[in-house]
Amino acid sequence: MIELVIHGRGGRGGVTLAKLIAGAYFGLGQHAQAFGVYGAERTGAPVQAFVRIDDCEITVHNAITAPDHLIILEPSLVAPELAATMSPEGWIIVNTPQSARDLAKFLPGRNVATVDANAIAVAKHLGSAALPIVNTTMLGAIARVLGIEFAAVEAALTGAGFVGGNLVAAQEAYARVITETEPGTAVTIRLPVLPPPVGFLDARVGSMPTTRTGAWASRRPHAHELRPLCSEGCPAGNDVRGFLQAASAGDYDRALAIILDTSPFPGTCGRVCPAPCMSACNRKELDDAVDVRDIERAVADRGLWPAASAADGRPSVAIVGSGPAGLSAAYHLARLGHPVTVFEAGDEAGGVLRTGIPEYRLPRSVLDSEIEFITAHGVDIRLGRIIDRAALEDLSRDYAAVFVATGLQERRSLELHGDSSGIVGQSLEFLAAARDGGPDLTGQTIAVVGGGNTAIDAARTALRLGADEVRVAYRRTRAEMPAIAEEIEEAAEEGVLFEELLSPVGFVSGDGGPRLVCRRMRLAGPDESGRPRPVPTNGGDAVRELRCDRLLLALGQGSDLSILPDGAAAGPLPVTLGDTGGSVFLGGDLVGGEGTVTAAIGSGRRAALAIHEALAEGSDPVSADGAHGDAALAGAEVMHLHSFSPVSREAVSLLPAEARRTTFAEVRQGLTGAPGHDAAQAEAGRCLACGMCTGCDTCVVYCPEGVLHRADGQPPDFDYEYCKGCGLCVAECPRGVVFTEAI
Amino acid sequence: MGTVLATGNQAAGQVLAMAGEANRSARGCGGGAYPITPQTEIAEYLTGHQFAKGSFVTAESEHSAMAVCIGASVMGARSFTASSSNGLLYMTENVFAAGYCRLPLVMVVCNRTIGPPWNIWVDQGDSLAMRDSAWLQFYCESHQDLVDTILLSFRVAEDERVLLPAMVAQDGFLISHTAMRVDIPEQGEVDRYLPALRLPQRLRPDHPVLYGSITLPRETENHRRDLEAAMAQVPIVLAEAIDEFESVFGRRPHGAFSAEQTADADAVLVASSTMSRTARRVVERRRARGEKIGLVGAKLFRPFLRPELVGAIGSAKRVAVLDRNLSPGSGGIFWNEVAVSLRQRADVVLQGYLMGLGGGDVTDGHVEAALDDLLGLAESGEPVFFPARVA
Repeated sequence: MIELVIHGRGGRGGVTLAKLIAGAYFGLGQHAQAFGVYGAERTGAPVQAFVRIDDCEITVHNAITAPDHLIILEPSLVAPELAATMSPEGWIIVNTPQSARDLAKFLPGRNVATVDANAIAVAKHLGSAALPIVNTTMLGAIARVLGIEFAAVEAALTGAGFVGGNLVAAQEAYARVITETEPGTAVTIRLPVLPPPVGFLDARVGSMPTTRTGAWASRRPHAHELRPLCSEGCPAGNDVRGFLQAASAGDYDRALAIILDTSPFPGTCGRVCPAPCMSACNRKELDDAVDVRDIERAVADRGLWPAASAADGRPSVAIVGSGPAGLSAAYHLARLGHPVTVFEAGDEAGGVLRTGIPEYRLPRSVLDSEIEFITAHGVDIRLGRIIDRAALEDLSRDYAAVFVATGLQERRSLELHGDSSGIVGQSLEFLAAARDGGPDLTGQTIAVVGGGNTAIDAARTALRLGADEVRVAYRRTRAEMPAIAEEIEEAAEEGVLFEELLSPVGFVSGDGGPRLVCRRMRLAGPDESGRPRPVPTNGGDAVRELRCDRLLLALGQGSDLSILPDGAAAGPLPVTLGDTGGSVFLGGDLVGGEGTVTAAIGSGRRAALAIHEALAEGSDPVSADGAHGDAALAGAEVMHLHSFSPVSREAVSLLPAEARRTTFAEVRQGLTGAPGHDAAQAEAGRCLACGMCTGCDTCVVYCPEGVLHRADGQPPDFDYEYCKGCGLCVAECPRGVVFTEAI
Repeated sequence: MGTVLATGNQAAGQVLAMAGEANRSARGCGGGAYPITPQTEIAEYLTGHQFAKGSFVTAESEHSAMAVCIGASVMGARSFTASSSNGLLYMTENVFAAGYCRLPLVMVVCNRTIGPPWNIWVDQGDSLAMRDSAWLQFYCESHQDLVDTILLSFRVAEDERVLLPAMVAQDGFLISHTAMRVDIPEQGEVDRYLPALRLPQRLRPDHPVLYGSITLPRETENHRRDLEAAMAQVPIVLAEAIDEFESVFGRRPHGAFSAEQTADADAVLVASSTMSRTARRVVERRRARGEKIGLVGAKLFRPFLRPELVGAIGSAKRVAVLDRNLSPGSGGIFWNEVAVSLRQRADVVLQGYLMGLGGGDVTDGHVEAALDDLLGLAESGEPVFFPARVA
């Protein structure tokens, strides 16, 4: 008698393989027996199946404990102890890409045969790449090693209803199985001992049962992509998850193309965006948010920027202001076929990107090349053109539509008592001046009031211009500052001092020069914005004085609506200019909003789509919806974060703090990585792909009924004829893609 | 049909269908079942089979499944079903109804442990719990025995001297899910072996009768006497059925008990189902060593043919009964029957061994050890769990 034990995993066809081996020998006139270990084992658990072959009637019904041969269907199941009780002459036949020689080192003294059945099965579309079904493939290898002609394999397979890829895979394995010694010598059988048999009673070996267990279900699973929080949180409307996944695959060209669909400023946003996507990132529940901002920068640096083509003959549009909103609108309108002319009051394009963000955060070359990319789409930027109310009326006559995105030109100021003449200035003007060299602040003590990015930028710029001491006074604490956390951190590293809970009220003169008098504040209950409200303190130390040679205000800006007709409201709806009949659309910071570059980019894009739609008179609507429509959100509560392991964030290299103080060279060097290590790709690999089917096949592995299938590149497919609605796939999907609904 | 590689369930489904088809010239066939492991594949095969006359349906429960069978049978159709374990327990009320109504239907039981605690493996406790339901009970030791016994059971059950339903038990998984070589008969042979079912009490719409109604003690006792009288006919009818089987199919299944090498045996093993095959290997090994050991393979449990068993044991002075079942408080159920049968044999040392409960592997070594234990006993004892400790 020959006894074989097959080691496989539940639900992967091991028992069927036992029946096929028995069938092959049976077809050769032998007695045969095939059975499995049945029980409560879940799909995927290690299980065994057994085969006995004999030339006389088999009467044993026990499990096989000392087999002649071992069949191992998965490399992960190979363990020397499995071979402990087997016959020393027998074969261990393993599905593995390893050579028999290499595997034999692990199984000393054994006859080892190997075949890469996974590769063969996947090529023949047997199962999926993550979960190949190798039983029919292995049958070929087993037959070769045990000395059976392939004809017997073919008869067993066709007799059991396995044709097509199964047959070809078995044949390939028969040819490709590798042994260290000559195969087919370990076993001899006498043929034939019995009259030719009919074959399998049931020609559907391994097929689904006929009881339609789907009728038992009260719930049904579905697969449905959800909107990721990152993309949902992106004010520019970027498909964040999409470009992270592309970057994770090392496909920077595709990643860049995904971003350029919604924003022409990846290099800029990859440096200056406050990244609400990162605040929303589910990964922070596990370890740290994915460093989306630095990945976006890497994508801009490394992706291939596509060739631009000039706009075709759609109605032309004028845009007032070349800040992020204006240029974003220009870019999208040009891509939609509209010739665009941008009117910029300054002598360089870029608006606040140019004047308000220091070189050490956003190098001029990055902004220049992104603006060049926009103009390459047929956007004409006219510099030094101040548009007032009359000029706007002219534009509305000459162009089919006008988009006004002049940003916030009014600076908020502060009522200060005492003599502040020559001491107080606006941070934005200071930053603009710094772009052209700026004042020499050597020996001066500078105070900055505010907590946003402009305040931090002004403080750090002041240091670089030689200031002795720079203090940022904020009426709340550092934790409440709206500026990007990393920027605050870097400023502190460079030596900027933070004065929390102070509100300037005036100046007094002191021995060493002017002194800024500040009221001490404390935090009270939340205000309308949800942040703690600063209220003045009373008592002995209610006032603090700071030395201050120069005070830079960074208290925010307001809209200048003087360009518009009297009474025109700043809102998203187009304003009709009285006698011209032209439509004027407003956008960017002019109409309020978050005041971030990204929000302005998004505002420009939405305006472009609205203008395009208005000019096309509804004949060519373009959806302004994000990349994921109105699907439900993939919040942390629908994710199964326990499925993922913590992975540290990739390091971003920075110039040393000491070196930074004296130069406007870019501080953050991005995800540079060690030689041979693509840090950006690795960091993108930390993206959990929330709410998206990545083809991980966890659902397929856990389905206890084997009713879940997945084609490559597709979400899972459920066989409702058989699915009992147990919900294991829902419980195990790491990304919340699978859910059930009551029938 | 010829020799095929089939699981017990595939073979049983096929042969039940053939038996149903064989009644196509009469009132056809009908039945119902509800899925339960390890029986499900039989029901699946039958529900998927296109019968020339009749049909097999999936019911909403085992209780209803037996009700379908009762309905079909009482209308004169050849009826059959299959069940296991707790499904069979749920069916119980109607199992008794079929027996007490004398409806000759056939049920294949894939023996499975009764839960809780839940367990799907073989244990004869489920069908043996039905032992007082007025059904014949057969326990099969192999795939071929299963095929042959299903055919025999129709023949005996439908004989008008008997007219009782029959349960045909196979070991769950060990037979039901194991693929092995088995000979499946031709439909023509089955047609010859199973003549048209003629049910005397068949319901006829044009001839209404009241059936299964209330009876007083006297009528009830007469009903019970009739049941017992019908059971008493089984040995005669079974013997005829085996002769006829041999003439149609060319092979001869054994009857209520196989008496193997018992004529000169000092000690005899009594076993049923696949344990009989294990015991047979042990007997052959011991015989080869010159020991006078015999085997009685117990196939028919109801009726329990006590004189036949005593005859099969012969003059052996030591008897071991292997039970893969337990009647809590009373030991092995086969042992109980053997003990009653041997009540006049004070010279016999009788020992019951409870083995493989809940599907534990019963190996040759276990049976050898039980036999050695028997050979060392001075007197009969209470049934024991064997081996004494479960590894």
